[in-house]
Amino acid sequence: MDLKQLCELPGISGREEPVRRAILEACAQRLGRENVSVDRMGNVVARKPGRVPGAARVMLCAHMDEVGLMVISATDDGLLRVRAIGGIDPRVLVSKRVKVGYPAGGAQPLNGVIGAMAIHQQTAEDRKRVLPIDQLYVDIGAKDNDEALSKAPEGTPIYFDTPFSEFGEGLYLARALDDRVGCYNLLRLLDADVCGDTAFVFTCQEEVGCRGATGAAFALAPEVALVLEGTTANDAGDVPASQHVCCVGQGVAVSFMDNASIAQPELFGRMLALARTHGIAHQVKRSVSGGNDSGPVQRAHSGARTCVLSVPCRYIHSPSSVCAAADVDAQYDLARAFLENETGGAR
Amino acid sequence: MDVMEYLREAAAQHGPSGHEAPVAQWLKQRFEPLCDEVTIDALYNVIAVKKATIPTRDGSAAPRVMLAAHQDEIALMVADILADGTLRMGQVGGVDPRILPAATVTVHAGQRRLTGVVGATPPHLLGAQAQRENYRREDLFVDVGLPAQRVREWVHVGDLITLNGPATPLLNDRCASKTMDDRACVGCLLEAAERLQRMGHLCDVYFVCTSQEEVGCKGAATAAYAIKPDFAVALDVTHATIPQSRPDTTVPLDAPALTYGPFIQHKLLERLKAVAREHGVKINTEMAARGTGTDTDMIQIAREGVPCVLIDLPLKYMHTTVELLDTRVLAECGRLLAHFLSDLTEGWDKDLWI
Amino acid sequence: MYELIEKLVNVYGAAGRESAVADTLETLLKGHVDDMRRDAMGNLIVQKRGSDPQGKRVMLSAHMDHIGFVVVAVEKEGFLRVMPVGGVGVESGRTRHVYFQHGVHGVIVQQPVPQGETPAMRHLFIDIGAASDEEALARVSLGDVAVYANDCFRLGEHRVAAPAMDDRVACALLVSVLLALDQPRHTVIGVFSTQEEVGCRGAKTAAYAVEPDVGIALDVTAHGDTPETKLPAVKLGQGAAVKIMDRGSISNPEVVQELLAAGERAGVKTQREVLPFGGTDAGAMQLTRSGVRVGTVSIPCRYVHSACEVIDLRDVEAARALLLEYLTSF
Repeated sequence: MDLKQLCELPGISGREEPVRRAILEACAQRLGRENVSVDRMGNVVARKPGRVPGAARVMLCAHMDEVGLMVISATDDGLLRVRAIGGIDPRVLVSKRVKVGYPAGGAQPLNGVIGAMAIHQQTAEDRKRVLPIDQLYVDIGAKDNDEALSKAPEGTPIYFDTPFSEFGEGLYLARALDDRVGCYNLLRLLDADVCGDTAFVFTCQEEVGCRGATGAAFALAPEVALVLEGTTANDAGDVPASQHVCCVGQGVAVSFMDNASIAQPELFGRMLALARTHGIAHQVKRSVSGGNDSGPVQRAHSGARTCVLSVPCRYIHSPSSVCAAADVDAQYDLARAFLENETGGAR
Repeated sequence: MDVMEYLREAAAQHGPSGHEAPVAQWLKQRFEPLCDEVTIDALYNVIAVKKATIPTRDGSAAPRVMLAAHQDEIALMVADILADGTLRMGQVGGVDPRILPAATVTVHAGQRRLTGVVGATPPHLLGAQAQRENYRREDLFVDVGLPAQRVREWVHVGDLITLNGPATPLLNDRCASKTMDDRACVGCLLEAAERLQRMGHLCDVYFVCTSQEEVGCKGAATAAYAIKPDFAVALDVTHATIPQSRPDTTVPLDAPALTYGPFIQHKLLERLKAVAREHGVKINTEMAARGTGTDTDMIQIAREGVPCVLIDLPLKYMHTTVELLDTRVLAECGRLLAHFLSDLTEGWDKDLWI
Repeated sequence: MYELIEKLVNVYGAAGRESAVADTLETLLKGHVDDMRRDAMGNLIVQKRGSDPQGKRVMLSAHMDHIGFVVVAVEKEGFLRVMPVGGVGVESGRTRHVYFQHGVHGVIVQQPVPQGETPAMRHLFIDIGAASDEEALARVSLGDVAVYANDCFRLGEHRVAAPAMDDRVACALLVSVLLALDQPRHTVIGVFSTQEEVGCRGAKTAAYAVEPDVGIALDVTAHGDTPETKLPAVKLGQGAAVKIMDRGSISNPEVVQELLAAGERAGVKTQREVLPFGGTDAGAMQLTRSGVRVGTVSIPCRYVHSACEVIDLRDVEAARALLLEYLTSF
C-alpha cells in the first residue's frame, strides 16, 4: 500500500476502522492471516519471528489515528456543532472543506465546509479574536436540525478533505502525515530480515493520550521499542534557527527526550551511530516537546528501552501537512538497519 | 430498592478519597446478600462478584464484565493548627471554596467527631475590592469552638474534615445531598444487582465500588488490573442543566445519559443504546472529546486494554453539599444496566473493531 | 551520615542519566545485600531476603535522579540553549555554576528580559567558555543535561546544604538502613529509582517487577518554617515527616499509623505532613498491579529544587531509626 492510499483513508482517534481494515489486510497478505490480529484496544499487531536466537524482543509502533472532529449536536438551522478530537488549533479550521462520516459499502461521505462570518461584517475586534471551536460550525447543506442529525448523528467522525499530492521539490502535501508516514514505513518493514522476534504494532488513540500503545505494550512486553512518528518541524518562515525543532529534508529526527519519555541513552547513541555507519541522513530533534507512544511503551511491565524516530512535518495537525519523501525513506532505512543488525539493542 | 432510604444512609457514611474503609465496610454489607463474594482490596475497593447464571455453550469461561462507580468523596483535611486553635484546611479532591464560608463540618479527631464551622474574616473588615471576590481556601479556617490547648490535644495535622449535607427530599422524587457524586451511582449498581437476582446472565459480573476516583481514578486502575475484565461499564454523575449552563455542556435531569467520544468503544455504545431502545429506557447522549474524567479513563488502559462505555447520571450543583438528582433516574440507570447484562449474547464482540 | 550524604550528592545524575549514581551505590552495597540488579529504566534494585517464608515484601524507594537543564540548541557564538528536565526553576537558575556528565563545566545565565515579559527558560543560556558552535559541540552534544555543580557544605552544627539533596539524602538514608538491617523477617527491597523528577517513571516499572505488599517512598519534603512560608506545617530539625498526603498520593491510613507508632517506639521525633503539592514514588507504587499499600517518610528540606537544598542531619537519623523499627515491627 502506498503513502497516498494511507493518507487518504480516514481514521480519527477512537474511530480508526477504515485505516485499520486496510492495514490489517496489507499485513495479512504479507505475513499470513495467522500472524496478524486486532487486540482489545483496536491495535493491529503483526508478528514476525527473529533469525537470531536470544536477540531482544522488539516492538515497532506507528499510530493509525489522526486528529479530526466529531459531531456533538446541530443548530436549529441545520449546522453541525463539533468538537476537536486530538489537538487542533481552531485557527486552522476556518474556511476548510471536510468529509463527514464513514458510510458503509463504498458510499461517499457527505461534504461539509467550515464557514465563518465574512470579513466585511467583522468588527475590528472580531478580526483579532480567535474563533473557538464552539463558535465554528460544519455546514453540510442541511436545512434544519432534524435533517442535519439524521444525516450526521451525534458521534459522527469528520476529517479534513485534503487529497494527497506531490508538492514543491521532493515534498508531500497531505493530511494525517502524522502518522501515516510511520504506518507506511511499518508496512514496508514487514519484509525486513529481523534479528529479534518483532511485533509491528499499528496503534490507535495516540492523539488522545497514547491509549492504544498502553494496552499493546502490556500485551507484548517488549525489551526494545522503536516508535516511528511524524513530528513538528517548526523550521520555516522567520523562526530563528535556534528554535527549529527539526528540519524538513534533513533526514530522520532522533529524539533524546520529549514530554512523554527520555530515550534510553545508549540506544539513542546506537541509533545515531547506525545512521552514520549506513550513511542515512539524520538529525537530532532539538526540543523537549510533544509526547508519543514511547511513554507508555517504555513503562509497561518492568520497562523497555525505547527511542523515537520521526519524520519532520510542517503544519502538523492541520488539513495541510508537509514532509519530505527523502525523510520518509531515511526513517525506513534507519529502522531497517536497526532491525536487521542489532540483536540486543544496547545496554 | 428504596432509593430514598439508600441515599439517606449513603450520605451518612464517611469515605474521603484514600480513607474509604468505613464506607467500604457499609457497602460490603449491602452487596453481600446480592452477590457470591465480596472483598475489600488494598486500596479499599469493594469488589462484589455475581457469577454467571447461564453457562456458555461450549463450556468456556464466562465473559467478565466490570461495573464501576466510586464510593469516595471529596473532603478537607487539617493542614495546620493555628495559634488560637483554629484549623487551616487542606483538601482531598477538588472542593469548591465557594461552598465553604459558614458551612458546618465534621472534624474526625481520632475516635472523636467534632463539629466545626468554617470561618473567615468578616466582610465589615474587608476592603470593598476584597468583598467582591470569593474567599480562597487559604483565607478560611475551621473553628471547633474549643480552647487552643484542647484542640492541640485532640486534633492532629492530617485529620479529616468532612462536609455535612444530609439527604433532603424535594418535590417530584428529587433529592439533594452531599456525596451523590458518586454514591448515587453505587446505588445504580445495587439496583442492578437486585434486579439480576431475577434475571439470567451469562457473564460474571463484578460490581466495583472504586476508591480514590476524586484524586485520579486510582482504585479503578488497580481493580481493573485485578479483575481482567473483557469489557467494562463505568457509572458517574454528570452535569444537569441549570440557568447558567453553556450549550452542549449539560444534559437534562430527567433521563440517564450515555457518553460518546474516543475513549468509548463505539460498538459497545451502540449495543447499550439498542438495549435502552428495546426496554424503553429514555436516554440522552453527551460527548467527551478526550478524557471522560471518570473511572473509564483508567479502566480502558488496564492490562491489554478494556473496551468501555460510560453511563451518566445527571446531577445539579456537583461538588457541593446539595447535589441534586431525580431518584427515578437513578433507578432507571440500574434497570438499563441489568438489561444490558442480561441481554448479552455469546460472541457478540467478535468484530468489535472492524 | 554526613560523609555518606556528601559522597552521594557529589555524583553526577540527572533524570534519565543516573548510571554514575547507581555505580556508586553498587560499590557501597556490594556484599551487604542478597542480590542486586538494574532494569531497562536504569533502576538499581537490591534485596535483603527475609527469614520468614510467609513474610511480606516491603519496597523502599529513593530516587537517584536530579533536576537539570537539557541542551536543545547551540548558538553560533557557542552559547547553549536549554529546556528544563523536571521542575527546575528559572529564578533559582540564574547565574549558577553547572556541569555535565562528562565533566564540562558552565555558567547558566539569564539574558536581559524585555519589559513586560516573564523570565522563562528560553531566556537562559549556558556559557561553557566556547567561542563558536563548533567548539561547543566538540565538548557537549544535543541532549546532554547540565545540573547544579557540586557544592556540599555544613550549615551550623546539624544542617547540610547541597544541590541534589533531593533525593540523594534519601539514597543515603536507604543505604544506611539496608546496611543496618540484620536478617530481617520480611524481605526488604531497596529501589534506587530513576526519573522521579519527570513523573516517577522508574518507580513504576521497578514496582511492577518487585510486586511489593507495602511500598514506602523516601523523599524530601518542603518546609513551612522560613519567612513568609506557611505550608506544609513541617519544620527542619523536628524529626522525620510521615506523609499523610500530597498531590501524588494519599498514604494508606494504616501505614501512616504504623510509621508514626514505629517512630514513637524508636523514641524519635516525627511530624505529620500534609503537602498541598508535589508527589513521590509512592504514587507510582500505589497503582502497581492490583494496588499496593503505600506511605512516604520525608526528610524536611528547605529550598527544594534550588542549588542549595538544606536538610537537618537529626531528621535523617530520626528517619533511619523509625524505618529500622518499622521494618522489624510486624
